[in-house]
Amino acid sequence: MTQKRILVVDDDPHIRLLYQTELEECGYRVETMDSAVKLLQAGPPESFDLIVLDIEMPEMTGIEALQELRKKLPDTRVVINSAYSIYKADFQTWLADDYLVKSSDLSELKESIAKLLE
Amino acid sequence: MDRLLEQVTNIPTTVGDELLSRFEIGQFVVDRDRYIVHTNETAARLLGIDEQAPGIDYSLERIDNVFDSDVQEHFNEVLNGDRPFCLSEVHCTNRRGQFCELDFCCQAFGYNDDRRIVALVRQTRKLENQAAYAELQDELQILAEVATALSSTHDLDHILMAILTGATASQGLGFNRAFLFLYDEKQRLLQGHLAVGPTSAEEAGRIWHDMDSNRLTLSDLLTASIHDEVGVEGGITGLIKDYSIDFNQPSDIENACHLGQWFILDPNDPVDEITQSLILRLGSRELALVPMVSKGNLQGLLVADNLFTGRTITDEDVRLLQVLSNQAAVAMERAELYEIQLQRAQEMERINRRLAETQDQIIQFEKMSVIGELTSAIAHELRNPLTIVGGFANLLLKSDLADHHREYLNIIAGEVRRAETVLAHVLDFSKASRARNEVVDFSALIERSYRTLAGRCRGAFDDINLELQPGIEVFGNSDQLAHAVYQLLKLVAEELIPPGDAVVHTEIVDGQACMTIDVHTPEENRDKMHKLLTQIFSQKGASQRLTVMVAGETIRYHGGTYGLQTNLQSLPSLYVKIPIHRRKNDSEENPGS
Repeated sequence: MTQKRILVVDDDPHIRLLYQTELEECGYRVETMDSAVKLLQAGPPESFDLIVLDIEMPEMTGIEALQELRKKLPDTRVVINSAYSIYKADFQTWLADDYLVKSSDLSELKESIAKLLE
Repeated sequence: MDRLLEQVTNIPTTVGDELLSRFEIGQFVVDRDRYIVHTNETAARLLGIDEQAPGIDYSLERIDNVFDSDVQEHFNEVLNGDRPFCLSEVHCTNRRGQFCELDFCCQAFGYNDDRRIVALVRQTRKLENQAAYAELQDELQILAEVATALSSTHDLDHILMAILTGATASQGLGFNRAFLFLYDEKQRLLQGHLAVGPTSAEEAGRIWHDMDSNRLTLSDLLTASIHDEVGVEGGITGLIKDYSIDFNQPSDIENACHLGQWFILDPNDPVDEITQSLILRLGSRELALVPMVSKGNLQGLLVADNLFTGRTITDEDVRLLQVLSNQAAVAMERAELYEIQLQRAQEMERINRRLAETQDQIIQFEKMSVIGELTSAIAHELRNPLTIVGGFANLLLKSDLADHHREYLNIIAGEVRRAETVLAHVLDFSKASRARNEVVDFSALIERSYRTLAGRCRGAFDDINLELQPGIEVFGNSDQLAHAVYQLLKLVAEELIPPGDAVVHTEIVDGQACMTIDVHTPEENRDKMHKLLTQIFSQKGASQRLTVMVAGETIRYHGGTYGLQTNLQSLPSLYVKIPIHRRKNDSEENPGS
């Protein structure tokens, strides 16, 4: 079975480290990026199975990036993972496959990723 | 005058009398004993003495005070000498107390026992006007006193009473009775309202005798009429209280009111049915009817008569009544305007008060909104660090650790979870701050919060029962209130010591929506329960739990209070009171939007 590839996009290095460690323990191949601009500028885009995307980032927010991502990578799953719950009401986030609020308990995030990559 | 005197004394008496009469010149003759032995009618009038009783009562000394002392001296000189004496514009006060100004001329005639003084007097032009002035002065005095009385009150019935008193007092216009009808523009009729006067001849005699005895002035009577309780039901008012004059049918009264013209009604005159009805109603022989008009608007009708004295009503009487009526119409309009202004002033005061309250509320809303925004920003900024700390603690816990390291990491993970819970509560509150204010069903809100809690904490809320009164409305932020109630219910449920339970009541107490949570525990646990709840709800300041602080601020923000009390059954009872919403003109209030 091919190892699923996950990209974690978050401007906080410790979040990136934490998520990478936890998700690799779950058996995924994890890459990280610190900004949405770099994600869109990196081309041709590598084939990721799922992207964990933060919202509040400098230069470009995750919501803005999501619009472009959907054009370039329509089949790639996207999970928004933010410290802010208010963006749930923003219909632009509906383009994501899931919206999870950050928590020290990562089990909800892991469950969502597992479900989306089944 | 000298020449006239000469002519008069040389002309036979009858001719002299005719001449004197034509020019209204008074003549009186004083004999050597200083008695007035002859006066003509004009002299008698001017001097204020009776023409019929000359001489006996009227020695010169008796009319000494008519003239001043200079004239008295000249009388003696004239009596003893040959020269005439004349004076012009002599100020005199005659024996009737009337002021007069006379031209005076006298000369002695005859000798010895026939020696006499013939004196001529005539009033200057001023006295002719003086009489008219005096009459006008009296009229003006009456009107002035009535006007003063009217200006001292804004009460309509007191105004009308003053008018009627002015019309009927002997010191006023002196009518026997006066009736007042007010005009109803919508129904187009004159409705009987108030009347003054005796109800019978016997009562008239008694009243007028009493008034004479008491020697009250018109001013006294008017003051009494204004300050005394106006009886608008009994007495002579009863004669017209249920009586109305319909203007939808033509009549002389309707025509006069339409033209704003007074008229005197003689029952012998042919009249229409409606006018005849009024005459019969009042039982009068003659009526004066005066429309009360102000700025072209009919206010009412003033009707007066002399039923008991039978004195004929003259045009002059009605002219004065018209002036009184005009004063009344103006005063009535002023009273109406005053009433409107008073209502407006009260309304303005109420609006200003509401504005001040609303302004305070708006400021509060703004503050809460800013606090909400700030709180939200801070809470979100804290989330990332907490995720990292807790996340790595959990990560480390999966590895092989010494027991004490594991213990420490568990503590870290546990405290992070607790901090995340607090953040969640704070974020819920800040989200609620942005909702708009509205009328909220208090009991429905509590039930909703209860069901939300019961759904999340399955089973834990089996021991809380609801006894909610419907129809209690409060005004405020429903999300915030629901959040506050949710927190309080959750706290009580968490602290409940089994086998206790709690009952949530709602009711209106002293204009406030009141929620009480009565905690039922066995007697052995009661003190402990009380202590626990006291610890939670009575602490203030930084030591207070955040959830209680937030809930408490929400309640206070809505003008309410909360706390712990002991109910009638000596059980601990948590209460929340919020002012109920009072609907006004079916419009909602929303000062925060």
